[in-house]
Amino acid sequence: MSPLKKTESGHKYWRSLDELVRTPEFEEAVKREFPDDEWDRLPPASRRSFLKVMGASMAFAGLTGCRWPAEEIVPFAHRSADRVPGVPQYFATAIEMAGCALGMVVTSFDGRPIKAEGNPEHPDSLGALTATTQALILEMYDPDRSRRTVQRQGGQDFSRTWAQFETAVGSMLGTDGAGVAVLAAPSSSPSRKKMRQAFESRFPESSWFEWAPITDQSEAAGMAMAFGAPLRVVPKLDQARVIVALDADFLNDHPASLRLTREFTAGRKPDAETMNRLWVAEPGMTGTGAMADHRVAVALGRVAALLGGVGASLVNDHHIEMPEAARVLIEQCSADGLGETEAAWAVQVAADLVAHRADGALMVGRRQPAAMHALAVVLNQALGNEGRSVTYVDAGAQAAEGIADLVEALNGDQVQTLLILGGNPVYDAPADLNFQQALAKAEHSVHLSLYRDETSQVCEWHLPEAHALESWGDGRAWDGTWTLAQPLIAPLFDGHTTIEVLSLAVGEKAAGYDIVRSTFGDAGLAGSKSLDDAWRSALHDGLVQGSALNAVQQPFSGEGLATAAAAWKALVARPAPNAGRPELVFAVDPKVFDGRFANNGWLQELPEALTTITWDNALLMSPMTARDMGLKDGDLVQVEASGAAIDLPVYVLPGPASFSLTVWLGYGREAAGKVGNGVGASAYRLRTTENLWSIDGPTVTSTGRRYQLATTQDHWAIDLIGFESRQLRVGQLIREASLDRYLEDPETFRHMDHHPPLVSLWKEKVYEGEQWGMAIDLNACTGCNACIVACQAENNVPVVGREQVLNQREMHWIRLDRYFKTPEGVGLDQIDDAQVAFQPMTCVQCEMAPCEQVCPVAATQHTEDGLNAMVYNRCVGTRYCANNCPFKVRRFNFFNYHKDLAEVSKMQFNPEVTVRSRGVMEKCSFCIQRIQQVRITSGNENRPITDGEITPACAQTCPAQAIHFGNLNDPESDISASRENPRSYATLAELNIKPRVHYMARLRNPAGHSEPDDGGPPEHGHDAPHGKESA
Amino acid sequence: MSIRTADLSYLNNTTDDPVSRPPLVLGGRTFGDVTNTVCGIVENPRTPPLWYVFFGLSLSLLGVLGAMIAYLIFTGIGVWGLQSPVGWGWAIVNFVFWVGIGHAGTLISAILFLLRQKWRTSINRFAEAMTIFAVACAGIFPAIHVGRVWVVYWLFPIPNQMSMWPNFRSPLLWDVFAVSTYATVSLLFWYMGMIPDLATIRDRAKHPIRKIAYGILSLGWRSSNRHWHRFESAYLLLAALATPLVLSVHSVVSFDFAVSIIPGWHTTIFPPYFVAGAIFSGFAMVVTLIIPTRAIFKLEEIITLRHLENMAKIMLATGMMVGLAYSTEFFMAWYSGNAYEGFTFLNRGFGPYAWAYWIMVSCNVIVPQLFWVKKFRTNVVLLWIASILINVGMWFERFVIVVSSLSRDFLPSSWGYYSPTFVDVLTFVGSFGLFFTLFLLFLRLGPMIGMAEVKGVMPEAHHGRAAHGDYHGDVPTDHDGQIPVKAKREVVQ
Repeated sequence: MSPLKKTESGHKYWRSLDELVRTPEFEEAVKREFPDDEWDRLPPASRRSFLKVMGASMAFAGLTGCRWPAEEIVPFAHRSADRVPGVPQYFATAIEMAGCALGMVVTSFDGRPIKAEGNPEHPDSLGALTATTQALILEMYDPDRSRRTVQRQGGQDFSRTWAQFETAVGSMLGTDGAGVAVLAAPSSSPSRKKMRQAFESRFPESSWFEWAPITDQSEAAGMAMAFGAPLRVVPKLDQARVIVALDADFLNDHPASLRLTREFTAGRKPDAETMNRLWVAEPGMTGTGAMADHRVAVALGRVAALLGGVGASLVNDHHIEMPEAARVLIEQCSADGLGETEAAWAVQVAADLVAHRADGALMVGRRQPAAMHALAVVLNQALGNEGRSVTYVDAGAQAAEGIADLVEALNGDQVQTLLILGGNPVYDAPADLNFQQALAKAEHSVHLSLYRDETSQVCEWHLPEAHALESWGDGRAWDGTWTLAQPLIAPLFDGHTTIEVLSLAVGEKAAGYDIVRSTFGDAGLAGSKSLDDAWRSALHDGLVQGSALNAVQQPFSGEGLATAAAAWKALVARPAPNAGRPELVFAVDPKVFDGRFANNGWLQELPEALTTITWDNALLMSPMTARDMGLKDGDLVQVEASGAAIDLPVYVLPGPASFSLTVWLGYGREAAGKVGNGVGASAYRLRTTENLWSIDGPTVTSTGRRYQLATTQDHWAIDLIGFESRQLRVGQLIREASLDRYLEDPETFRHMDHHPPLVSLWKEKVYEGEQWGMAIDLNACTGCNACIVACQAENNVPVVGREQVLNQREMHWIRLDRYFKTPEGVGLDQIDDAQVAFQPMTCVQCEMAPCEQVCPVAATQHTEDGLNAMVYNRCVGTRYCANNCPFKVRRFNFFNYHKDLAEVSKMQFNPEVTVRSRGVMEKCSFCIQRIQQVRITSGNENRPITDGEITPACAQTCPAQAIHFGNLNDPESDISASRENPRSYATLAELNIKPRVHYMARLRNPAGHSEPDDGGPPEHGHDAPHGKESA
Repeated sequence: MSIRTADLSYLNNTTDDPVSRPPLVLGGRTFGDVTNTVCGIVENPRTPPLWYVFFGLSLSLLGVLGAMIAYLIFTGIGVWGLQSPVGWGWAIVNFVFWVGIGHAGTLISAILFLLRQKWRTSINRFAEAMTIFAVACAGIFPAIHVGRVWVVYWLFPIPNQMSMWPNFRSPLLWDVFAVSTYATVSLLFWYMGMIPDLATIRDRAKHPIRKIAYGILSLGWRSSNRHWHRFESAYLLLAALATPLVLSVHSVVSFDFAVSIIPGWHTTIFPPYFVAGAIFSGFAMVVTLIIPTRAIFKLEEIITLRHLENMAKIMLATGMMVGLAYSTEFFMAWYSGNAYEGFTFLNRGFGPYAWAYWIMVSCNVIVPQLFWVKKFRTNVVLLWIASILINVGMWFERFVIVVSSLSRDFLPSSWGYYSPTFVDVLTFVGSFGLFFTLFLLFLRLGPMIGMAEVKGVMPEAHHGRAAHGDYHGDVPTDHDGQIPVKAKREVVQ
């Protein structure tokens, strides 16, 4: 912009009064390429335009079974027949994560999607969602999302329209696509597949590459070795009595983790005497490791040797008959080189697998090399597990070249135009490829993305992508079930999907709906129904019933197994890491995944289950490793490998293998948005094509600086007094015994707690109608964190930021308490390994609530159905209730946490729940809005509330179904039955608070009759009453 | 005056002579002397420059207090260091600290009055004023520490459109009643006791504004027999009324903690322990203030060394009580067999807040042991330093109780560590600004010594005064009742 011009006559001309007076705002506006970029700052008319957008989504809405597939934006002048203002509607849709579609049901309130829950019909969800996928709602309303098409020319950004891109892309692609390359993420979507084919046939000279930082390619490669085809392993853990997980965090880090969690915990019902046994070998400490009955910590590079040991024991000790074709691989197995513990572990595993032939499952994680997967296939078959607890399907993987090939092509100047559809390769491509440099060689580059991220900023074109909840799409579940995704709302920021962009590129410009619909039609999924009926019911269900792929049985490929055998020597030859040559392991982040959710406040603030770290990644290591490497908890260290270095704070926790250092991927974003920028350090900078999952011998040097991680629980590193007392208390809080002891004496848990007779200070309330209760099964809880995000979404729980978490002011209504348990006699400075126990902790709704008694203004009161209710508008904020809460579950609004929210973010709020103001106490309400909703419905229908009709958000999403809720006054209810269970106990019962949340004791199922850590119930006076307690 | 520098030993009246009762007013003062000395401070047209220095400082600190409160109210409680699990921090510590200080005044005026401790007369006005100002400081904290200050009136049982009563089960509500009653009665007691003295100032006033102001304040006091009769009955009644309040207010404050279920709070020893602590800290504060005041305003003859020594003895006694309470708590924590309780006390002594605990023990238990020795009791400088240390220790006592108990309660997952922010610190420092501003204004504008009462314990007030043994012969006075300097010298010699 040119400065003010002075004409000859001396008159000034100005464009506006602002310009004349040169206000700072004006100067600022001139500097920015896009004035009015802030969607929130649109003039008041935006309410109307918003309603128009809403109108469109209403038009989409309709009855779930008979949607009106209109695409035009029409004013919402007439109410559609089925819509009642204020009554939420639910739509089935899906999200594709890691190339696998996950079905969900989204609650829509007056056209605004406000909450994502699992689709009970969907095989990978079964009604649950992970913490990450539940946070999609927040991502959709993220004000930092890209709002316009941008073209970068000569170092400057210009705002463009889709029409302008359409013109430009025509010339970019040419006639036959020569010099055109497409880089996309691997996808299971049939429509994507169709559009790829359409693109490739329209531009036959183009080439197609695929890249995602987190894939199951190693497993596919292992399957290809074993069977000659990249089959997919579909475990059926409900069939398994013995599960062996080798570096496989299948409860958290697996595309079908929700289903596997359900199957795994369903197989751990001690009362039905079906209790599976979990063996885990892993380099770091994971949620799966925490659930293990026997866990051994081994470096990532040593897991193969361990499996070799298992194989050797099966052959040598148990003389298992191996398939002939696999002999070449089996012969490689040997227990040589295993440490004492590892060797013993391998022998025990083999014995247990043999004892449970056809009922076992050997699982190998995605970080392990292909040959490992091949060997697991062989052993599973030899044990008779194949077809029962382990099945294989042919997911029809489409061949594509990888990013290394693309970089080679780019560097060879073979690519003039590069279309990057989704993903963020500049950020997450292997560092040795130097993708950004290669990208610059392409004349034209286009990036379709939800945010203007690292990749978008260096591409010529940036296209805003439509969010998953704004788009039509499809995909296949892990077992192959055909899954449909439908938009909940018209794209907020003018985005389009990958398939739409491909359609635009080939000149068809079809709408997403038409593409998905026609793919559906072409697939012949209608069966006996008419196509329209089939489509409608598929949309209603969110999936096509019975479309799961059939399990296949294939003979072994001798050639492939020979390759595996050839590779095996090198695998087991990797030496154990040591202080001078540690091992750096990359782990998939349980929150921000590959980094794509870095700008999501819910996820950044979610405490990672084992470390309770928020807003950061860290270098995780065991205490002895830290000691031997001369490091301390909180030291900022420089990790150097493959010519790059990053700074990471050290976090010490018991459990990781010696000298195996773990770091989560997905942090250190530079263009994630306001929330995610600069959070943590990017481990991708150390990751190379060769070392995708681990690096041997990185240099770790202390920077001499310290860094405070925002954790929600104190570290285990603690003063001696605190440590000792905690050790004493954990046994009371989280009751635990071996299965054998429990079966021998089911009352064992009640002997763990004795106290004098309890006398109430006042007359206790008598309940005539309902009184609610909850039971949390610690035997099922895997610490997946899904309940925390569910609660946050349902109850408008604010995000407070790293600084406030450091101040211990996080607001989560439900939290996951994590305790480490070490054998008695192990001192504070001798710990290297520990058992982990999780305890979801929320307001336990004490019947004799200490908080209610002390509130001076009676802002917290008992309801007629036994809840301990918070009256926000009465609360003056003395915080006395929080002080007097023995569970410390009350949360105080120290600031107005909603003050600076963008208008668009406010649309996420659940209108059924008050948004709390500053200075007010809040806490779990048992989702009272859900209770009231059912109460009103049942009242209108003049019927009692049936058991299971009310589900709080945490219970709804729990993949392990660990949370039970219901009416304690109904003797037939599930919750009443759970109170009778001998595993049921109340925490801090001796305070006579009569909590309404009871816990179900945890059981471990060690092999044989060894009870390493179970000393039996503590000493107690038998004249004292037992700790059974019922509200 | 050269005479005083010549020999100051007459100021030491701490020697106990079994034959004669030691005089409470030294220097052979007459009634007129007392009036002149006390009123002189108020009437002196030239304010001592030192007063301006202190007042300026206090006013600045008061400004800091105002700024911190404004910042707090506009931003939120989050500007303090509070968190989960420590929901109460410096604000409540300061509240209990100031309330505790506010104990000495009423104790001196009411309980010592009923116990006929005549030595109280020289210090009671001063201590009462300190009480009022300390309670004013204390009152600020519970009011501003709530999350929504604008509805803090809901704590009072005011009839309202919501038909809502406050929760009478809550100790915080009892606190509201206890502290407000105590503040009201203390104020009345202080003011009522001051009326005859205010009338004296009125009578001596020359400037019309002073005449009117003190005239209004003295409520038409004419010093008639009937007035005196009613005054003394009322004073006695108020003393009787205030006496249980002295004990109740800090008992109720301690209920805030004792009635809760938090280990370290939930203990029956708290009411007597808190009251003893309050008297302890109250006397410490009186000593801290009175030593510089008597030096600056040259009141050594009225506020004598014996007064200070007596207060040191009380501090010794109450300090021992507090020490006993500390050890009883530890004993009970062990003897009860309650694991939580046991941990809490171990944690206090040796956990992350051990530093605070040992500051408390050193200041409150060890420092007062000095007062076994008379030499230390009568050493003004040492006494002053010790009293300040006791104030520090008593602040830390409340800090230890409030913060260390909360920081580690039942669930180890929720343990935390609380640190104050600059706002916490400056608010506390600022509250001293309020206290000293009020106090300095009182010193300058009000009768800081109860003239009427002091005169009541002087030998002249009694028939057969020779019996007291402190009669030094007839002293010539001028018509104002003042002793000529020459005569005074004679008396001294």
